[in-house]
Amino acid sequence: MKQKSILLVAVLALVTFFMSSHASSAKDDFAVGSTLDNFKLSDTNGKEQSLNDLKGKNGAILVFLSVQCPVVKGYDERIVKLAADYQAKGINVIGINSNATEAIEKVKTHAAANYKFPVLIDKNNVLADKFGATVTPEIFYFNGKNVLMYHGAIDNDRSGKNVTTDYLRTALTESLSGKAIAKNTANAFGCSIKRVEKQ
Amino acid sequence: MNYLTNRARAKKVLILSGLVLVFAQIFAGESLAQKRRAAPKSAKKQIVTRKAKPIAVSTQNPNLPKVTQINEVALRKLLKREDANAKPLLVNFWATWCDPCREEFPDLVKLDADYADKIDLITISLDELSEINGDVPKFLAEMKAEMPSYLLKTPSEEAAISSVSKSWQGGLPFTILFNGQGETVYFIQGKFKTELLRAEIEKLFNLNSAPEVKPTQK
Repeated sequence: MKQKSILLVAVLALVTFFMSSHASSAKDDFAVGSTLDNFKLSDTNGKEQSLNDLKGKNGAILVFLSVQCPVVKGYDERIVKLAADYQAKGINVIGINSNATEAIEKVKTHAAANYKFPVLIDKNNVLADKFGATVTPEIFYFNGKNVLMYHGAIDNDRSGKNVTTDYLRTALTESLSGKAIAKNTANAFGCSIKRVEKQ
Repeated sequence: MNYLTNRARAKKVLILSGLVLVFAQIFAGESLAQKRRAAPKSAKKQIVTRKAKPIAVSTQNPNLPKVTQINEVALRKLLKREDANAKPLLVNFWATWCDPCREEFPDLVKLDADYADKIDLITISLDELSEINGDVPKFLAEMKAEMPSYLLKTPSEEAAISSVSKSWQGGLPFTILFNGQGETVYFIQGKFKTELLRAEIEKLFNLNSAPEVKPTQK
């Protein structure tokens, strides 16, 4: 009887190990549920800013941006409205520019003309690499404890004319009301982030 | 004595555990193999249609290359290799506003010329629909591109991206190579390296023509 129990435990352990090893292979390096350590990056004025200083009490929406990308341009109005709507709810938008091809001066002028939230310069695309961010615009929403709650697209339509699924706003509403986020990832469509050439 | 009994038990448990692991792996491997085998079979049952039909008729300049508007359904149809003798398919997703897409386009035109009789090559633009008679055909003409060209108009980019490849994160350009059975053999988000892409295409033909080598037992 005792032998059977030991055997059963061994089998269960093996099956669990087998299943978990397969599940983990499908995971991203920085998947939803990961916790982000505080980081510091310079803003467009060269002033060092930290995540913990910029985030709201309910978290932060990090959005990877570009000066030239037409998809970002198409989303600009919606991003600005999102920032205004959620600042009041304790979630601050932080722009990140990781494009090696966009000069800081251009990013500064563009940010001043278009956004009321800070845009940080991700030199050598360190943050983009950490997150696995590949396009602009691409969203990473962290709650107040810096846990990644949502990653991906803002909504389903880059033109803004036929939005039927508001992925990000739905996720934010669910998160703020303490519910589980039903759809916590959605492929973002946009311009590839122009990374520095690494040897 | 007890020590010996425990050792014997432990040995049994270890052997049985090993057997379970081996069976589990064989079972999982077989399931994957079955899935892979099942995919082309089910595809073959469907009606053979090579080119997607346009969903809208547009007035195009006859002097410029033809660009066909497609939706998500037509896109999925295009990517299927339903004919048993279908050629491999190379698909390039691009847009006129995407600099790396424009930069790599001449290489794509060259690949199209070099492998014209061996593979199907198509380009799918993700420009705004308003460009179907404008910048898209103008750029194709400038590039002297002769491959079938499409413009994808979809209400949901996310769904379209997912239907092409689970590995496509949504950035442009995106280039994907399917073998004759419709299986993805190579993809890249961002500019492709021509020599690498050539090697991947060549690999398909080397594989097809290579004699079968039986693995040697050790």
